[in-house]
Amino acid sequence: MSRLPVLKGTLDLLVLRALSWTPMHGFEIVSWLERAASSSLELEDSALYQAVYRLEERGLLQADWGVTENNRRARYYKITAAGRAHLRAETKNWVTYADTVTNILTVATNAQPNSSTS
Amino acid sequence: MIRTGIKRVFRLALHRRDRWEREVEDEIKLHLALRAEQLVAMGASPDDAYQEAVRKFGPLVESRARLIDAARHREQRMQRTEYLSDLRQDIGFALRSLGRQRSWTAVALLTFALGIGATTAVFSVVSALLLHFMPYPNANRIVYVSQEPTEGNTTGISVSITPVSQIVREWMRNAHSFEAFETGQLVKKRLKTVSGDPSEVGVASIFPTFVNFTGQHVVRGRMFTQNDIVDGGRVVLLSETMWRTRFAASDSVFGKVVTLGDSTYQIIGVLPSTVQLPPYVPKSPDFWIPFDIRTENLGVWGLIGRLRPGVDIPQAQRELDSVYARSTSTGTIPFRARITTPSQRVNFRDSLVMLTGAVALVLLVACANVAHLLLARSASRQRELAIRAALGAGRGRLLRQLLTESMLLTGAGALLGIAIGWAGLKALIALRPGSLNSLELARLDGTTLALAVGVAVASGVLFGILGVLQAARSSTNDSLKASALSSSHSRRERRFRAGLVVSEMALSATLIVGAVMLVRSVVNLQRTDLGFTPHGLYAVTLPLADYGFETPAARASFVAEFMRRARAVPSVASASLTGVQPGSRWFSVGRFQVEGEPPGPENKTDLIDINSIQSAFFATMRIPMKEGTLFTDTLPEARQVIVNAGFARKHWPAGSAVGHRIRVAHSDKTPWYTIVGVAGEASTSGPMAESSAPLLYTAYDNGHNSAVVLVRTNADARALSPLLDIARTMGVRRPRPVESVEETMHGFLAGPRFIMLLLTALTLLAVALAAIGLYGVMSHRVAQDTREIGIRVALGASGSRIGRTVIARGLALTAAGTVLGLGGARWATKVVESQLHGVSPLDPVSFVVGALVLIAISLVACLVPMRRALAVDPMTAIRSD
Repeated sequence: MSRLPVLKGTLDLLVLRALSWTPMHGFEIVSWLERAASSSLELEDSALYQAVYRLEERGLLQADWGVTENNRRARYYKITAAGRAHLRAETKNWVTYADTVTNILTVATNAQPNSSTS
Repeated sequence: MIRTGIKRVFRLALHRRDRWEREVEDEIKLHLALRAEQLVAMGASPDDAYQEAVRKFGPLVESRARLIDAARHREQRMQRTEYLSDLRQDIGFALRSLGRQRSWTAVALLTFALGIGATTAVFSVVSALLLHFMPYPNANRIVYVSQEPTEGNTTGISVSITPVSQIVREWMRNAHSFEAFETGQLVKKRLKTVSGDPSEVGVASIFPTFVNFTGQHVVRGRMFTQNDIVDGGRVVLLSETMWRTRFAASDSVFGKVVTLGDSTYQIIGVLPSTVQLPPYVPKSPDFWIPFDIRTENLGVWGLIGRLRPGVDIPQAQRELDSVYARSTSTGTIPFRARITTPSQRVNFRDSLVMLTGAVALVLLVACANVAHLLLARSASRQRELAIRAALGAGRGRLLRQLLTESMLLTGAGALLGIAIGWAGLKALIALRPGSLNSLELARLDGTTLALAVGVAVASGVLFGILGVLQAARSSTNDSLKASALSSSHSRRERRFRAGLVVSEMALSATLIVGAVMLVRSVVNLQRTDLGFTPHGLYAVTLPLADYGFETPAARASFVAEFMRRARAVPSVASASLTGVQPGSRWFSVGRFQVEGEPPGPENKTDLIDINSIQSAFFATMRIPMKEGTLFTDTLPEARQVIVNAGFARKHWPAGSAVGHRIRVAHSDKTPWYTIVGVAGEASTSGPMAESSAPLLYTAYDNGHNSAVVLVRTNADARALSPLLDIARTMGVRRPRPVESVEETMHGFLAGPRFIMLLLTALTLLAVALAAIGLYGVMSHRVAQDTREIGIRVALGASGSRIGRTVIARGLALTAAGTVLGLGGARWATKVVESQLHGVSPLDPVSFVVGALVLIAISLVACLVPMRRALAVDPMTAIRSD
């Protein structure tokens, strides 16, 4: 199974998406991503934490210590209103962007001028 | 102590870092554990599972460091954001709560702004004139260097003599206490131009080192050097403005020649227009030429010098004196060096110091008033604060909120105050009398702004803390339970507010006493018996030397003819020539001797007022003769002298002065003068001078370049215009306008009157603020006591009794304040002493008036609260809780 590297910036969106359902702690987010992407994303677990801290710093997430089902202390992350707004806006951007790129790559090949520059 | 302090700070930091690290560690640990469990559940062995978990996580050490770093970053950023959002919230809250009580805010703002405004205006003057006088580098080491008589100055004024060039040259060569000596002179000269009329320009003559001294550089060309002076000094530098406007900023002017007055000069360079002679010279010069100390004497500009670092004034003075003594044959010096700092030369320095003190008192009163207002306000806000505290606002948060509020208030107040101060300063400059001309140098400078901002910040913090202390005093619980009104019944607070009013009253009392003293002093000056009658007396100045009458003989025949014709003018009641115009002083300098008495010490120099006049002078001035006769022989050889009564009394307290011979000697050959008469005492040099100061009158000698004719008329100045016509027909084409001696004498009062008005204005401000303060406290008191008053009325207390109680409380505060204030005034009036004329600094009238004014104003301030107390309806009051 070939694994896709995570594009820069998209990890943030994925995390926000994960948390848009319910607050989770770090490992829950990782597991969610793995399930959602059927393990097709290539990602070091520590990178996720970095993304989470970054989002928290920007006020898109909010963290609180809580207790897991098995009574372990864990840091739970919750999406903020600003985070939701960001997720909505960026999702739209991403879809538009992806559509555009997909269109160019798959449909308009013969409309391109002679591509000597690249 | 210090060590524990450091440790605590350090530990705090450590503690914090620990927290992030621990949190990150915990998170990683949990993650690895959960991942391992997941892998085990999928069938891996525990060991392999852990290895795999770590592999999936990423390089452990590195990732851990990176995450801790990210966590720290996050933490700092979030703190900042939180702080800012708190601040925004606080400011919003403060604005809302200030806006809710608009009139309260307006009063507090205005009170503080007035205090700051007064401070700013007065301090701008102090800063410009006393702190930043010289526009040159190392200004704090720049001093004026002049001389004064080594002994014998009995004139009552400090005399400063411009040293002669020979002495200056000795100093420049041999005195090591100074880095530099500079002088300069600004004269008006006619610049001859190719096209059109010659124009008048300002020409400054300076040493070649002057530009260096000012820390500036020539813009174009070069500065002149000692060699230029040796070669005759016919070189000139243009000011940059002159170069740009008149010479089109052209480089071709260098080497060209300009004609200034009668001489031609070669243009060699351009100086920046920012190069200035010391600041009392009104505008910067257009041309700069060399000053040749070998041939020229220093002008009124005098000599300034920059002391070497570390040299103090007495040290420098001693060195200058010894250099001077070494250059003389005998080693004795008639004049000793007198070194003054620029601020010492400001003639109203004492007034400025006094006004600074006054303005500080006003500021204190204003601050006390704002403190009052804040207390009154926060009393009614205690419930609100208590609720906030109960809802979980920490004490620090509340402190920050109150601080934000008081800072907003004082900050806005300071802005408004600076605007008021700026306007006030403009007004001050516009209204200044001629004797205070240097006021126009005052600017709202950085020092002043820093002071205003400093005061605002300090008082903002103080007010904030005051509010917190007050909030802290009453416990949350009590405030919540009690009603808003009775919650502030705390005794301590009442005492504190009474203390504030008492101190406001005390400060005002001090100011009133000072102001009354100054008013009385000005009144005294106005009422001073001058010893002559200035009303109807006029002076006509004829600049004879300007119109070719250069020898005494030529002047003598001119004035003889002029006086003959003048006395024939019908409106002229009497006329006399005088060497010294009323309002000025002229001194005879030398060793005063009485024939037959042993001479004083060798190095003694006396300065004795002298005037040369015609006999008609006394009739024209209306100065009575006390003894002897007028001049019986006016020829110089007759050497007759008339002395004033003060002189006669000083030297012959018992006998008669007439017949004695005196002289002011320069050598043994100076001839003796015989006293022929004694005239009454007259303050001819103005109301400030002692009329009894010794004064000599000699026969008019035509030695002056201008002749001054004193004329008494029963009509007004216009009736004297025939005199000017006579002067014109006789060849003095442009005689100066007729001057009123009465106006000249009044002019002397303008300065003191201006200062007096300023102090009075400040005093009124302080008193008004204090009265508002008293009014505030009394109304508050009455409001608090509504119930008690109601009960008393219900029990049968009469209205007059209630009124008396209120007034008595108010007056008790005033009385305490007055006693303190008068005590303070006893000490503070020392500052005023030097400006008092005919009023003692312990003048009982001023003290009594001060007390009465304050009591009267307090009564007025208590009236409204009293009426409110009388209007209390017992039934409503008792039920109201």
